[in-house]
Amino acid sequence: MTKRKTENGILSGVLWIISLFILIPVFMVVINSFKSRTEAAEMDISLPSEYHIVENYSQMMQEGGILRGLMTSCIVTTISVVALILICSAMAYVFQRRNTKMANRLSTLMVAGLVLPVQIIPTYFVCNTLHLGHMASAILVLIVINIPFTVFLYTGYLKSIPREIDEAAWIDGASGIQTFFQVIFPLLKPVSITALIINFMAVWNDFSVSIYFLNSAENYTLPLTVYNFFGNHGSDWQLVFANVAFASLPVVILYLLLQRHIIAGMTAGSVKG
Amino acid sequence: MPGLILFAVFFIVPSVIGLFISLFQMYGFNFASARFAGLTNYINIMVEDDTRKALYNTFTFAIVTTIFKMLFGLLLAVALNKKLFMTNALRTIFFLPAVINTVAVGLIFSSMMHPTKGLINRALGAIGLSALCQNWLTDPKLAIFSICSIEVWKWSGFTMVILLTGMQNISVDYYESAQLDGASEWQKFRYITFPLLLPAINNALILSIIGGLKVFDVVQATTQGGPGSATEVFGSLIYKSFGTGRFAEGCAASILLAVIIGIIVLPTYRFIADKEVEQ
Repeated sequence: MTKRKTENGILSGVLWIISLFILIPVFMVVINSFKSRTEAAEMDISLPSEYHIVENYSQMMQEGGILRGLMTSCIVTTISVVALILICSAMAYVFQRRNTKMANRLSTLMVAGLVLPVQIIPTYFVCNTLHLGHMASAILVLIVINIPFTVFLYTGYLKSIPREIDEAAWIDGASGIQTFFQVIFPLLKPVSITALIINFMAVWNDFSVSIYFLNSAENYTLPLTVYNFFGNHGSDWQLVFANVAFASLPVVILYLLLQRHIIAGMTAGSVKG
Repeated sequence: MPGLILFAVFFIVPSVIGLFISLFQMYGFNFASARFAGLTNYINIMVEDDTRKALYNTFTFAIVTTIFKMLFGLLLAVALNKKLFMTNALRTIFFLPAVINTVAVGLIFSSMMHPTKGLINRALGAIGLSALCQNWLTDPKLAIFSICSIEVWKWSGFTMVILLTGMQNISVDYYESAQLDGASEWQKFRYITFPLLLPAINNALILSIIGGLKVFDVVQATTQGGPGSATEVFGSLIYKSFGTGRFAEGCAASILLAVIIGIIVLPTYRFIADKEVEQ
């Protein structure tokens, strides 16, 4: 028994050493965002000789268009996530409850959407033809690329809700839509929380779609402001690091608060439900 | 069914249009000047140096990152499946990179991989291994592997979580009876954990391969495909052709990528799914 204890002790020691590979870069970002320009240019992990926290962060905010980025990110993320939850829960409900050929074929199509990359250039063309604004296009595309995964999440969970509940609602005279929104949707709350968090992170952190659609300074999302800020201030590492820290902070806080749901959801979606 | 309509308009219709455009030769969305080009765009991708490089890099990236993500993910999962001192804190830390956005990660590593001042080369120098110092992101031969390592850093924890959940679904009874039969740790892993973990491994593997083939953001955030075309991948190629108005070639590349993913992912999935055992 004592042998096992020492073994486990060594193992956790090793794991903590490995975790430094993750903690040191994070520490480096934070500590360098507090330094003066010359010290930050060294990009090391020593403690700063004097702290320039307020100065660096306020300068970064002014020059980077960060607040506007934050605003855009909030708008895009809120709309996309709310829409995804409403649309996908309803879609999954229909797919899961109806056993028609059509429903099955459509589910197969969803698998294709899960695997294949979105054809971004023609999508741009479609949005152009429909005269959609940049922001509207970005939101719609972000919704669409996250539909397949979210539908799967809901389908898996719906399997555990007995059909008898639907039937009881029917007997009480509820219409299909009423059954869904008043009876089923509240039951889906746990999976909705998961869907909320995962889609929040996916949309908030998105770069591959927004770089195509939100390509002018007034509608950059937060990751894009970071990307472009680096382009303009590549030598002001203290500002770049402040920028990186600021842009990552919302998601990191969310992650630390809700990690149980995040991990539950990640696995619910990826280990088939 | 607004969801289906959205899905159709923004996923299926573009795919079809993309296929169509990819067969033409045109500049911008100027259909008047479009000429039917057959498979020319596809052939160009195969023949031109830049794009061949992208094809090669995309595969390298997908293979290398998948191998290491699976390896590290599995090791971490096995280690963290035990009850250790502060297991949960460790799990939280290892998953953390997956939630930080790729641009930020790209910048962090651009700084750490700086040839003279970067943390990596300095650390190597400090422990007397300055011979191993490299121009991580500027050496054309090495850059793509440096980017691979960034991807592995970011996503190994994610693989770990998938596998960890898989492991926790395995009933303890198997281990107890193995214990009675006097099985070693390795035998338990080989004959119990591994076979029962195959569904989870399958999913992690497929996600990793797809992610690897679709890669774009980490490349764009670190090297933008450079130096030259040393780290060009399909994603950055498509973005470049979009930026310069060569839409038809971009579409062709995009369709080709979709076909490649389909061809690789389906058999892999089938192959592993066949080997799964019922628990």
